[in-house]
Amino acid sequence: MPRLSRRRVLAALGWGAAGITAVAGGAFALMPTLPPRRPPTPGDAAAWLSLRPDGVFELLSSRAEMGQGISIGMRQVAADELGVGIDRIRLVQPDTGLIPVARSTVGSDAMRETGPLVARAAAALAVAILREAARRLQRPAGDLRLAPDGVMDGDALVLAFDDLGAAGPLFVTEGEVAAATPRLLADPSGRREVGRARPTHDVEAIVTGSRPLYTDDVRLPGMVFGAVVRPRTLGGRIRAIDASACAAVPGFLGLHRDGAFAGLVASRRSALARAMEVLAVDEAEGAAVDSASLAAMVDVSAAVGGLEHGVLDDGDLGDDPFDVDLTLAVPLAAHASIEPRTAVARFGDDGGLEVWTGTQDPFFVRDSLADAFGLSRAQVVVHGMRIGGGFGARTIVAAEMEAARLAKLCGRPVKVQWSRSDEFRAGFHRAPSSHRIRLSADAAGRITRWHHAFRSGHVIFTSAAMGPGLQFATGFVADPGVARGAVPAYAASAARVAFEDVRLPVMTGPWRGLGAAANHWAIETAVDALARAKGLDPLDLRLRSIAPEHVRLRAVLAAAADMAGWPVRPKDRPDEGWGLACGIYKEMSFAATVARVTRTAAGYKVTGLWCAHDCGLVVNPDQVRAQVEGNLVWGIGMALKEELAVGGGRILPESFFDYPLPVLSDVPDIEVRLIEGSPQPTGAGETAIVSGTAAVTNAIAAMTGRTVTALPVGRA
Amino acid sequence: MRITLNRRPVDVPDELADEPLLFLLRDHLGLNGPRFGCGVGSCGACTVVIDGQAERSCIQPATAAQGREVLTLEGLAGAGGLHPFQRAWIEESVPQCGYCQNGQIMTVFALLAAQPDAGAADIKAAMDGVLCRCGTQPRIRRAIARARALAAGDA
Ligand code: FES
Ligand code: FES
Repeated sequence: MPRLSRRRVLAALGWGAAGITAVAGGAFALMPTLPPRRPPTPGDAAAWLSLRPDGVFELLSSRAEMGQGISIGMRQVAADELGVGIDRIRLVQPDTGLIPVARSTVGSDAMRETGPLVARAAAALAVAILREAARRLQRPAGDLRLAPDGVMDGDALVLAFDDLGAAGPLFVTEGEVAAATPRLLADPSGRREVGRARPTHDVEAIVTGSRPLYTDDVRLPGMVFGAVVRPRTLGGRIRAIDASACAAVPGFLGLHRDGAFAGLVASRRSALARAMEVLAVDEAEGAAVDSASLAAMVDVSAAVGGLEHGVLDDGDLGDDPFDVDLTLAVPLAAHASIEPRTAVARFGDDGGLEVWTGTQDPFFVRDSLADAFGLSRAQVVVHGMRIGGGFGARTIVAAEMEAARLAKLCGRPVKVQWSRSDEFRAGFHRAPSSHRIRLSADAAGRITRWHHAFRSGHVIFTSAAMGPGLQFATGFVADPGVARGAVPAYAASAARVAFEDVRLPVMTGPWRGLGAAANHWAIETAVDALARAKGLDPLDLRLRSIAPEHVRLRAVLAAAADMAGWPVRPKDRPDEGWGLACGIYKEMSFAATVARVTRTAAGYKVTGLWCAHDCGLVVNPDQVRAQVEGNLVWGIGMALKEELAVGGGRILPESFFDYPLPVLSDVPDIEVRLIEGSPQPTGAGETAIVSGTAAVTNAIAAMTGRTVTALPVGRA
Repeated sequence: MRITLNRRPVDVPDELADEPLLFLLRDHLGLNGPRFGCGVGSCGACTVVIDGQAERSCIQPATAAQGREVLTLEGLAGAGGLHPFQRAWIEESVPQCGYCQNGQIMTVFALLAAQPDAGAADIKAAMDGVLCRCGTQPRIRRAIARARALAAGDA
């Protein structure tokens, strides 16, 4: 590897299209539809918000709701800026025909990117309303002000919102949004909704079932049910299908084929599973990979020569032995959202296509379908539904394309809902990775040398969404998803971080936190091992070694230690240990977690979790806390439970019986402290996972005296 | 075939007798509460209450409900408004994505209706099998406690 003279940090590129074109050059023509990547603009925001004839402000959401709470947060921002109650803000999850192209809901950036723009649109609308009221009332706008129900002059309501909207919806222009000065960002004292705890949008419908929310709640006239016939093995290919036995299944309507694509259609859902059982499929099986061979493919010790991509290369590591030298393994893991991928597709008489789906990227779905069916983008409308758990799994096009193909082939609206085994077999997963970390510290307990080399399956350049041509083209480009979170927050006079992405025979892709989940587990495991090797308290070693610029990381670390009573915690003993870990997500959000783990007859059990978290301005503390809790529960799963087993060339789990998730009794009460270290929101959806997993495994190491080097930790 | 669904009699065409109860409820009777998560009894998202007992409707044939009383999430609220579990779920802000919450609410509702003094071990036995990927477990625990307090206060 050529030595780099200066710190080189990979830009987190989202999908990294720029990287692809830079390298692929002439391969551009081979490129599939790429997801929209442009951040939102004032022009976009002008289309999001309007005062409607019923006197309610309608806010069209440009981001998907998957339980992260963006919908209620946007309503809170708009309500405060307009000075109205939250019930006067109606949030609409718009279809793709109603708003300008929006980028996907990924990277925990929904509130950071859209919140300030919603505030500006609302500030602009407030000005526009006063101007309109002044014109109608023939009074100076300066005498008027907005109140919860309309425009006031002194103590008198002079124009109600429904009167104002009666002539037609009131919008603002791009220029007005660009020029607007939202008061919230400047003046926290004006906040009534921002900073208030509120449950998720649509919570009443969730707990009553009163109306459709998710894709499976969409039922169209004449709709039938579809399922795709898939190879059972990884890399397998279907040679022939005989559906003659399916005719006897009540409700079975037919087998449809189009090239390599094959799907069943039925009038009843039960008929799909029954027809699948009696379908005769001749499959050319793929290679017989298993979990061990996948681990070997990414094994960092098997790398020949230097690793391809440098993240960091500062100073001289020298030839002295290191204080710790660890090789760590992270296995394949599933998203395991409880809602399986589901889509409903309908072709209209005019040839247009409508699709309902819970997707993180409705415009990518729209563009992909348009390109696949030779339609213009305006001829395809995607209705984004509430997602029953995203976590990165809904970033590509899957059930949507299948439903549309079957709808085209059978001539009726089709609902495709993946079976749980489809989810494991046809979904993409968290890449397995292998890490070698070598660290040294000086006598004062400061980290001096840092070397982290790792190999991983792909994350952003997922084979789940890229054909062979693009896989080849991206083979030379560093996968920014693999690199995420690899730059340590610790200062070391010599530091080298390098990695290699490995094309695997299983589909891997974005999973909560991308590479940061695995990289931070590895980093925080090694730092803890270093503290043990040096006989230092892991908190002290961290506080001494965190780079001076990361003031906010020190703050959350100190806060978590304080919450847990770290300095006065009981001495670690064979049946109980305490662990700590911290980290930075996307260079802007900070978390530190303390875990207490107990050894019981049934295995390790996390019995306490304390997390301090700084994602800047908190619009809705309840939703941010929920994200922190969720990330920590993922940390428990990652540490103790989750591995997607592969054997005989197949993904083995077929249901949740074979893929254990953390359950109620695995999860302790979680104490969260929120610190607002910046006036802007910086994202909570994936932050705490950088600390949760290692806090748990470090607690186990404290108890056993042995570093946990492979996930998940099995039974005690 | 006839079932009682949320206190109302419903006729079910005979040809749907062997349809899984979940699909009968969702696709033919238009309910949204019970949800499909796995179809094989491994997650609990599809839970309904049949004659007081929590059942995974994805692995019950429609005939299992014949002549019996089926209660779904839609039927939980009474004339007096939301059921204490629904109120507690809102007040403790339990749902994230919300997809699993039908199973959480219906399972604990059935448990505590049958066994009002259920202890921690009973709750673990009933609820550990109802999966939530979003990580709402700490709030589920709090909401159960709150609902019990609400119910006690109402009594
Ligand atoms: S859908 Fe019935 S248990 Fe999972
Ligand atoms: S709230 Fe999303 S699965 Fe439980």
